[in-house]
Amino acid sequence: MRLTCPRDELAQKLGLAGRAASSKATIPILGHTLLRAEDGRVEVAATDMELSLRLPLDGATVDEPGAVMLPRLAADLVRSMADGPVVLEHRLNEGQLSLSGGGSSFSLNCMQAGDFPELPPDVGEGLTIPADRFQMTADRVVRAASRDETRPVLTGVLVRIGPEGLVMAATDSYRLAVRHTDLDAAPSEVREAVVPARALQEALRLITATRATEVEVVLTETQGVIRIGGVRLTTRLIDGQFPDYRQLVPDRFEHDVAFDRGELIGVLTRIGVLAQRTAPIRLRFEQGQVTVATVSDQVGEGRESLPVPFSGEVLEIGFNADFLREGVESVEGDEVRIGLISPLRPGLLRGADEEYRYLLMPIRLTA
Amino acid sequence: MTARPSILHADLDAFYASVEQLLDPALRGRPVAVGGGVVLACSYEAKRRGVSGAMPAWRARERCPELVFVRGSFGEYRRLGDRVMEILGTYTPAVQRISIDEAFLDVGGSERLHGPPEHIALQIRRRVREEVGLPISVGAARTKHLAKIASQVAKPDGLVVVDPAREREFLDPLPVRLVWGVGPVTGADLEARGIRTIGELARASPERLAGLLGAERGTRLRALAANEDPRPVRPGGRAGSVGAQSAFRRSAPTPDLLAEVLGHLADRVAGRLRAKGLAGRTVTVRVRFADLRSVTRSITLADPVAATLTLREVAEGLVAEALADHPRERTLTLLAISVSALTAETEVQLELAVDAADDPRRPGSRTAAARLAADRSVDRVRERFGRGAIGFATVALGERAGVPDDFRELAERDGG
Repeated sequence: MRLTCPRDELAQKLGLAGRAASSKATIPILGHTLLRAEDGRVEVAATDMELSLRLPLDGATVDEPGAVMLPRLAADLVRSMADGPVVLEHRLNEGQLSLSGGGSSFSLNCMQAGDFPELPPDVGEGLTIPADRFQMTADRVVRAASRDETRPVLTGVLVRIGPEGLVMAATDSYRLAVRHTDLDAAPSEVREAVVPARALQEALRLITATRATEVEVVLTETQGVIRIGGVRLTTRLIDGQFPDYRQLVPDRFEHDVAFDRGELIGVLTRIGVLAQRTAPIRLRFEQGQVTVATVSDQVGEGRESLPVPFSGEVLEIGFNADFLREGVESVEGDEVRIGLISPLRPGLLRGADEEYRYLLMPIRLTA
Repeated sequence: MTARPSILHADLDAFYASVEQLLDPALRGRPVAVGGGVVLACSYEAKRRGVSGAMPAWRARERCPELVFVRGSFGEYRRLGDRVMEILGTYTPAVQRISIDEAFLDVGGSERLHGPPEHIALQIRRRVREEVGLPISVGAARTKHLAKIASQVAKPDGLVVVDPAREREFLDPLPVRLVWGVGPVTGADLEARGIRTIGELARASPERLAGLLGAERGTRLRALAANEDPRPVRPGGRAGSVGAQSAFRRSAPTPDLLAEVLGHLADRVAGRLRAKGLAGRTVTVRVRFADLRSVTRSITLADPVAATLTLREVAEGLVAEALADHPRERTLTLLAISVSALTAETEVQLELAVDAADDPRRPGSRTAAARLAADRSVDRVRERFGRGAIGFATVALGERAGVPDDFRELAERDGG
């Protein structure tokens, strides 16, 4: 195989593809990136058997078709080369490839491309969604997904596409984020799947990197495919019953308090500096104001009050400082409303736009 | 540890029975047993006639027809026990009370004010006898373990001071069952293999003991026999464990019995944990069979527990394990629950109901939150209206509801 490619393009695509490569040592070849050069199409691909990425290499000239495995450090090398065309050369069945460009040349040990697993097929009828709508929905929601593998279904994001539009929901059991977006060409049938949060995060990164204007989403029984321009992202889907967010979000509140979003973020950030890992932020609502405070034996105390339209009996409720701040930040617009029921029931954060909801369970305060 | 025998172990003699004899002069000098269907405690006069704790009443009467049974006077036991502790406290702040009727003292720093350990021990015995009216035995030695053995040897109504230069002379000939942690089962095992005295235990090879008792226990018991006990006297301080036990007449381990007794014990232990603002991750149960053999099982949970029902469930699981491992045992005489690895109750992040199966052991789950809320309500009702005002039906309506709760409370220990 012999191929010439502009350095920037090669560096960027290898960098993007490498994010799907495995970081575990169990199956070594999964830590490498495949480069396949055929007449008319060159692509790089990587997978860890859960997520796979295939990206086209634009502007490459194929002198001789073939396929080669690139070790992880190839991407770093190319990035550090001086600008100019990069030449890749590999003789079939040899254990070494040569990489040269910008005056430097390298000979790298490499594995056999024939040993790389076959990637999932790119098949299925997809729904095309404007990239900005996809981003707007996924971006806010994906952060609420869990990182705890002991409850796998919570590490995914529920993606539902149907007549009512696109809905995404994610929860780690402490907070739940759900966003709904209208679609111009909404399908008549409902397709729904739990997509690993990681796959969505990669999709978001690819949309930004390729400046795509639309994405095509395919959800089958076994896999999800997201097509972003010429890029193909495939992911396994997560089995299991995703919690029914409609049942979890209360529809009635004792109090519904409106805040200036910027002001509230400021207070939460300042007080949050003192809140240690498990120390809650305490919100004490009383007539006309709320006091945000935290107490930490080791560090000290912090307290700040804000005027708010609150009336009724005093309500004191605790929240995890990071979860609360992230929730407020994720709401769009200048105003954030927090719906509250009691110190043991969740609070609901939303903005003027009713399409996004962030539900947050409190921390039970000791007397 | 010092080179003086400045660790004291003060242990009231036949405490409950002694209190009864104090309160009712007609009982003095007579064999007295405190309890109902089972002997919970008895006087020395009764012990001399072969009566002992945990013995069923019918057998006790068989051995000692003149035995007088009395119901417990819980309030008095507590009051008098506290008064004795106050007296101990006048000699040193380093008093570690380990049950209602015994305590360790470190009087190493009290010599200038109160005199050497031997004098302090004598004064304690005299004052407790004169001011409270109860006999107390004291052991004085270089270590806690040795002081406790000394007080056992001193009983009844005696004082034993172990000269640090002659510790082996004192310990070696003593029976191996006096070592703390050697019960009837271990004692029998050791004796069967020719280890009858503490001296022989101290001289036994570690490998041999590991083979007999397991590596950890073997090392520990041998160290105690060799009087290697660096434990300091920890005054007041936070208990390392909270537990309760319940002795009853020989009963088959039916689900009803277990639910009732374990429910009762869990209620007491969890209630005390909550009152102290604590929760614990390690739960240990002790099951005693008819022949006084007992076994323990324990589990360390992922999250601390303080809810009554959850503690009961965990304890039931452990007891079931113990019973499964001893299928030939058909009767129980005692159950105990103890919670250790204690931490202060933390502020718990609550969880949304995302799981179909709600795990009560996760502190933030719905069930855990509901149980704790119920427990807190029960605690508040009891604070206002007394313990008997509210309780779990399985316990309150069960057969064993005979022995008063408050009496049982006294069998509870906060372990150090």
